[in-house]
Amino acid sequence: IMMFSVSHKTAFVVDHCPYMAESSRQMVECDMLTKSRGQGVIPLAPVSKSLWTCAVECSMEYCRILYDVYPTRKLVHYIVSDSEFHSLNSWRQEDQSTQELMAALASVGPPNPREDPECCSVLHGLVAAVESLCAITQYQHEARRTLMDVADRVANRGRIICLTNAKSDTHVRMLEDCVSETIQEQNKLAAGSDRLMPIQRCELVLVHIYPQGDDTLVSDRSRKELSSVLSSEVHSVRAGRHLASKLNILVQQHFDLASTTITNIPMKSFLCVSVTLKEEQHANTSANYDVELLHHRDAHLEFIKSGDLHMAGSTSRDSGLKETVTLKWCTPRTNNVELHYCTGAYRISPVDVNSRPSSCLTNFLLNGRSVLLEQPRKSGSKVISHMLSSHGGEIFLHVLNSTRSTLEDPPSISEGCGGRVTDYRITDFGEFMRENRLTPFSEGVLDASGRTSSERAKAQLERHTRYWPMIISQTTIFNMQAVVPLANLIVKESLSEEDVLTCQKTVFNLVDMERKNDPLPISTVGSRGKGPKRDEQYRIMWNELETLVKAHVGSSERHQRVLECISACRSKPPEEEERKKRGRKREDKEDKAEKNGKDADEKAWPDSERLKGPQEREKEEQTESEMIKDSPDSPEPLNKKPRLMSEEIQPPQKSKGPVSLLTMWTNRITATSRKHEVFAGRLNSVNNKAELYQHLKEDNGMDLHENGKATR
Amino acid sequence: MPTVVLMDSSLSMTRPVSQEGSEEFQRKNLAVHGLTMLFEHMATNYKLEFTSLVAFSSLWELMVPFTRDYNTLQEALSNLEDYDKTCLESALHGVSNIVQQEWGSTCPCQLQSTDAMDNLEQLIGLNGGEGQIFTMEGPLCLKSVQSMFGKLIDQAYTPFYAVLHCGNLASDVQVFPRPEPVLVDEEVDPIPKAVQTDLEIVGFIEIADISSPPVLSRHLVLPIAVNKEVDEVGAGTTEDAEEEPSANQMAGKSPNFCVLLHGSLKVEGMVALVQLGPEWYGMLYSQADSKKKSNLMMSLFEPGPEPLPWLGKISQLGPISDAAENPYGEDDSKSPFPLQPKNKRSYAQNVTVWIKANGLQTDVQKILRNARKLPEKTQTFYKELNRLRKAALAFGFWELLKGVAELLERECTLLPDSAHPDAAFQLSHAAQQLKLASTGDSQYSAFNHNITPLHTDFSGGGAGDRM
Repeated sequence: IMMFSVSHKTAFVVDHCPYMAESSRQMVECDMLTKSRGQGVIPLAPVSKSLWTCAVECSMEYCRILYDVYPTRKLVHYIVSDSEFHSLNSWRQEDQSTQELMAALASVGPPNPREDPECCSVLHGLVAAVESLCAITQYQHEARRTLMDVADRVANRGRIICLTNAKSDTHVRMLEDCVSETIQEQNKLAAGSDRLMPIQRCELVLVHIYPQGDDTLVSDRSRKELSSVLSSEVHSVRAGRHLASKLNILVQQHFDLASTTITNIPMKSFLCVSVTLKEEQHANTSANYDVELLHHRDAHLEFIKSGDLHMAGSTSRDSGLKETVTLKWCTPRTNNVELHYCTGAYRISPVDVNSRPSSCLTNFLLNGRSVLLEQPRKSGSKVISHMLSSHGGEIFLHVLNSTRSTLEDPPSISEGCGGRVTDYRITDFGEFMRENRLTPFSEGVLDASGRTSSERAKAQLERHTRYWPMIISQTTIFNMQAVVPLANLIVKESLSEEDVLTCQKTVFNLVDMERKNDPLPISTVGSRGKGPKRDEQYRIMWNELETLVKAHVGSSERHQRVLECISACRSKPPEEEERKKRGRKREDKEDKAEKNGKDADEKAWPDSERLKGPQEREKEEQTESEMIKDSPDSPEPLNKKPRLMSEEIQPPQKSKGPVSLLTMWTNRITATSRKHEVFAGRLNSVNNKAELYQHLKEDNGMDLHENGKATR
Repeated sequence: MPTVVLMDSSLSMTRPVSQEGSEEFQRKNLAVHGLTMLFEHMATNYKLEFTSLVAFSSLWELMVPFTRDYNTLQEALSNLEDYDKTCLESALHGVSNIVQQEWGSTCPCQLQSTDAMDNLEQLIGLNGGEGQIFTMEGPLCLKSVQSMFGKLIDQAYTPFYAVLHCGNLASDVQVFPRPEPVLVDEEVDPIPKAVQTDLEIVGFIEIADISSPPVLSRHLVLPIAVNKEVDEVGAGTTEDAEEEPSANQMAGKSPNFCVLLHGSLKVEGMVALVQLGPEWYGMLYSQADSKKKSNLMMSLFEPGPEPLPWLGKISQLGPISDAAENPYGEDDSKSPFPLQPKNKRSYAQNVTVWIKANGLQTDVQKILRNARKLPEKTQTFYKELNRLRKAALAFGFWELLKGVAELLERECTLLPDSAHPDAAFQLSHAAQQLKLASTGDSQYSAFNHNITPLHTDFSGGGAGDRM
């Protein structure tokens, strides 16, 4: 693992001297349709690309693959050389795109055959490339800045790919010597400069391009160390498709790429039906296509390690230099929300980017579908080993774990700590998670106290959990619809005047409820008979509400005002009596409460809860579990998204056509009020037996269950 | 990481250990003693580890396949027989077979109990320096065996305990298998990063948005009881179960944040993004076993500020309440993820590649096909024409521009009498523009210049065209 290896910087030096205007002598017939028209039409003579055109389009293909697989951190500086050098871009990340390079190349144009050949040389470009390798990239700069005292750990290496037409082996040697000398000079210069870095390692790749039909004047030579810094290799290649496949091999070697061929793609049924049918009428081709993709070679790591590489359908092509692993398309499943165990994800680049099968596959993936890929194995068995999937317009080859898991058969969570508790506030915590979902903010946005976005997210979690009872029987206020407006607002970092008003209204509403002697959703278990009396119930509720608001009282003066409002309005039993009660209970239960109480004390459970012993809670839980399905032991199926479920219970008009104001209002109420209302049946129950359908007798059949969790 | 215990059962292991004053031990007995100690530790503190026992001499034999049943391992250990001479090579081949069959190429943690130590260092070298040799200090005796295995246990089998935080909610947990330190960049950042013992939840993300991310490793997050002693924690249902049923039940009965979190993650189909250290993150999610069991799992992302391109930098992820409007929409119909990269990839932007002849031929044909349907296809005709023009200019392929210009002029002469008069005007205009571009005259060969349709008296015809 190296951040600044040789492949961090690639300088392309392309010869733009007059001789590069020479024809490659590879002819392209572009007047194809004429043949079918037959008589009287004289077809256009085939066109041929110049050496320059061949060099440029192959180098662009190299860059296209590179940028597809490494959109950042692998940089290209493109230099063109004739009577002087022309720098077409820089190391800056913004300059790294084929679009930019194509525009720059267009402004350079093809070599001018009438230019004086004596003034022209690829050497200008090579010297410029060496100088450029000494320049610091933004990534090197950032690394040096963060490391400070050990900034010298940041390495400076690079590669020069020179596409030229050399005269002879002697000419090649001259070019190599020139690069070697320039490196020495530049390194001396760089040693004394803060803005330059000496080159520690440079790979020179000289590609000699000659026209088809000619004999080469330059011999191939594998990599040779010319100095401790510089190595050089020479490739002598015919222009045209030989050059293209040479640069394709080089980009794979230089950037650790490997090739995968997707086979058995059912074009007809899955991809672009209309286009395919049209094509098939023309070409009479079969329905299955293969598409070759390039990606980082680590996507094949498992095959290499297991020795399955050759069995995995790998085929040698182009004189054995290039290998591809064949994986079989598996018909995609419709369910896309599964979380696969994926050990790697690597960006891909199609080899034949605008061929029909290739663009069909990539469009299919870009439209949000995923494809599982099957690997044929030694044993003949088949296994899903990879997945193709796009994220934000980029396609990745995911490596899926296909071996036995070392974590298999673990104890279920219900067998461990807290596993026997059945009345967790699962739905409420789900709501909490939705409120604490994350979203990206633009770079460098800090708030007044200098916090990053993720620090603010954590701060919000801290505020939202200052008072958060985990089980239903531990709380009264969070089971009450009437408290929701205050509970939602009080956790905010700052309150508006309007927010304070809403909180105060909530309090007044509670006062009103108490005056009307409305029942509260307080657990009746644990105490004999009907449980605490109404006034006791309200005392418990007010205490809990105060605990919640007290946890936020330091946030602002407005938070303070909410607490003041509660203190002013709440019912208070005679001080004397409360102290007596507390003393008596403490004696009984103190030990047990302490044992359980490390967390409880910090979070300040309401008095009534703190005073309850664990055994009491146990009993509560047992009873609760009969009524509340909201436990981890009976969760909804994983692949069914809960929001779909909440849509189910909403009126069908919602998604289609115009809706009435009433429907909108009802929907809104349903959506925002998923909090626990009141277990009406339980509250009015006698000895835990409630009369069913009692509201049938009432005129306004407002069903309390509708908004409560009981229906979920 | 599963464990293979490779036990040397050659005759040399039966050599006696000279000891003063007490009964005589064989080397084998010492090895068994050490392994017993290891197995006991694992049964208590590391009980989810899979271990297998292989005995070897000149041949090798799988005594116990990978199991979590440490009694079986212990039993097999005591029934080991003695064979001939040590031959490590064949045994390693055997181990390699067993491991690959079971686990694929996950790296096994090899344990040797042998008296021939010569080549072990070389072996570790071959394994890329991954591995360690434990040797006995001092004389061969029970005490030094104990200290050696003690070191091994400390190094390789210490359980990892942490506290999982979500704001003020928290739970003590064991993370199994323990997360190993990770090396980010050996040059720039040569110190391995370790997962910190406070795991802090940053926020929550939908499963569809996090979308099968690549992970370094997966771990179970097991809640542990707060008030119990560390040693007792892993203690299974063995002997303790009967002695302290109340304690175990108590742990089950008191609410635990992990269980709450797990339940809600499962129901909502979400994951929790968790910070493991400076610039290192992971995710917590519910993982269902095939048998209806499910568990809280943690996967570790590659260390770094931006582990997943489609989420962007984690430090830039903030609470939705900070956004001007809810990025998920009021009815959860939208999502801010995935993030779009600044530049489109080649396969998403209709690039022009003429490396293969048919790439070029297809592009020329597209122009000709549209040329014959002028003026209906005026827009498409010029769009394809401009695409070809741009590429030809970039590649310095002026000859092609001239060639296509000739083709268009010929098409013009071949127009049937019934053709719309606008067709002839557009064709000769396009041909002329291509010729001008092929001269390299900067006025006509600018890359970003587009050839636009000629305005004629008939040019209403282009209006109905669809791209």
